[in-house]
Amino acid sequence: MTAVIRTEGLGIEFYRSRKRKLSLREMLYRGGASHDRGTFWALRNISLEVAQGEAVGLLGPNGCGKSTLLKMIAGVLIPDEGSVTVSQGVAPLIELTGGFLGELTARENIYLTAGLHGLSRDAIDERFDAIVDFAGPQVRAALDTPFRHFSSGMQVRLGFSVITTLDDPILLVDEVLAVGDRAFKEKCYRRMGQLLAEGRTLFLVSHNEKDLTRFCTRGLYLRSGELAADGPIREVLAQYNADWTGAE
Amino acid sequence: MGIGTKVARLWQLRTILWTLVVRDLRVRYARSWLGYLWTVLDPLAMAAIYFVVFAFIFDRGDIGHRPYFIFLLVGLLAWQWVSGSVNSTALAILSEAKLVRSTNLPREIWVLRIVIAKGIEFLLSLPILVGFSVYYLVKGQLHLNARLLFFPLGVVLLFVFLVGAGLLLAPVTALVTDTQRVVRILLRMGFYFTPVIYAVHHVPEPWRSAMWVNPLAGITELLRAGFFDAPLDTASVVGAVVVTVVTLGAGIATFARLERAVLKEI
Repeated sequence: MTAVIRTEGLGIEFYRSRKRKLSLREMLYRGGASHDRGTFWALRNISLEVAQGEAVGLLGPNGCGKSTLLKMIAGVLIPDEGSVTVSQGVAPLIELTGGFLGELTARENIYLTAGLHGLSRDAIDERFDAIVDFAGPQVRAALDTPFRHFSSGMQVRLGFSVITTLDDPILLVDEVLAVGDRAFKEKCYRRMGQLLAEGRTLFLVSHNEKDLTRFCTRGLYLRSGELAADGPIREVLAQYNADWTGAE
Repeated sequence: MGIGTKVARLWQLRTILWTLVVRDLRVRYARSWLGYLWTVLDPLAMAAIYFVVFAFIFDRGDIGHRPYFIFLLVGLLAWQWVSGSVNSTALAILSEAKLVRSTNLPREIWVLRIVIAKGIEFLLSLPILVGFSVYYLVKGQLHLNARLLFFPLGVVLLFVFLVGAGLLLAPVTALVTDTQRVVRILLRMGFYFTPVIYAVHHVPEPWRSAMWVNPLAGITELLRAGFFDAPLDTASVVGAVVVTVVTLGAGIATFARLERAVLKEI
């Protein structure tokens, strides 16, 4: 099988200081001491290959760079070192409602978001009903209400529904399933299983062991910005758990 | 990515770009039925104010060309595109941070779509100009000439300049938050530094040469050439072309250089 995602010596550096945006005053009087210019590597020396159809689970403690890695694969962050090569389209379930606008109706938002991700108008027409069905009857009833009147649950459901309808062969999922009620969660799982069965490639970030073992065959364990383990999901999980208990 | 591949990619994504432009226009007009009216009411009101102030109160209808109202209108409609575009492109990345973070599109698209959307509003406001031109033509006070062909040239030049300025401002504003305020002040000064209410040839000589660095001087010359018989101020037109090209180059380079840092910040 050919690799659809390949990273080589990937690294990205962030400013350590919490106050990231500079005001003009700070720029003019950069007295050195007033502003901490220290940086740290959020990720470094990450080299990996993912083949088509693989289901990869990404695990590690908070702040170890999981989301950062996902964003670089999605192309919304640019690495400072090394390279990422992604040879197929990516459907990012990172910020689900990112493309939605509060002022527009749900119907307009579906067309705009799906269009932004490259779906043609005809293709959206064709899938429109499926998208709304999946999002649930509440959403269907409110199709022509401005999106900002939606509850956050409804917003996420519609977002998930739109993004998973895209044709992109690579799915990046960043803990989005934490929201939504249990019934919808189950529905999402079924949809993800279905997409995997179609031969899509999955990258899943989760802290939930059950989710990880349910979908993923391979595990990647990130520890303070470095790839600590790469192997079958159960082994990687075991190592992660061992580390975790050791730390306590 | 080289500039060539960037442009090719943007061309590939033209339907997405169009989707974004339509979205901008739709948001603008979604809330108020008077949407279109506002686009034309603003420059119309300003034109009326300046007309009253200069043509009646100061009795200086000669600071532009005659009819002064048409002279004002061309300048103000173009200026509305400039100020709308500069103000919004400065915030292009910040205001769409969520979208920028969730879609992998060439980031220049966020600037481009604003300039295009504001440009469409400009084109939509032109019927006002046509209407008043007809009025003055009928009254026999306006004589159009063949240099009307310069008008689209001026529009293209203005578009390119605004794209360059936007590419320059958007990443800087994302990194340095108060750029916005500076931009607002500069725009206000820029209005009087641009021949909107006066013509280039009214500027006394040592200062007239300074106008050449303002591409809007040459661009307004091009836009107005077809409406008035006054000779074209060629120097300012040449200046406009040069400064526009330089601005675009600087914009592309700045954007490419700061893109990485901006993505980390938003």
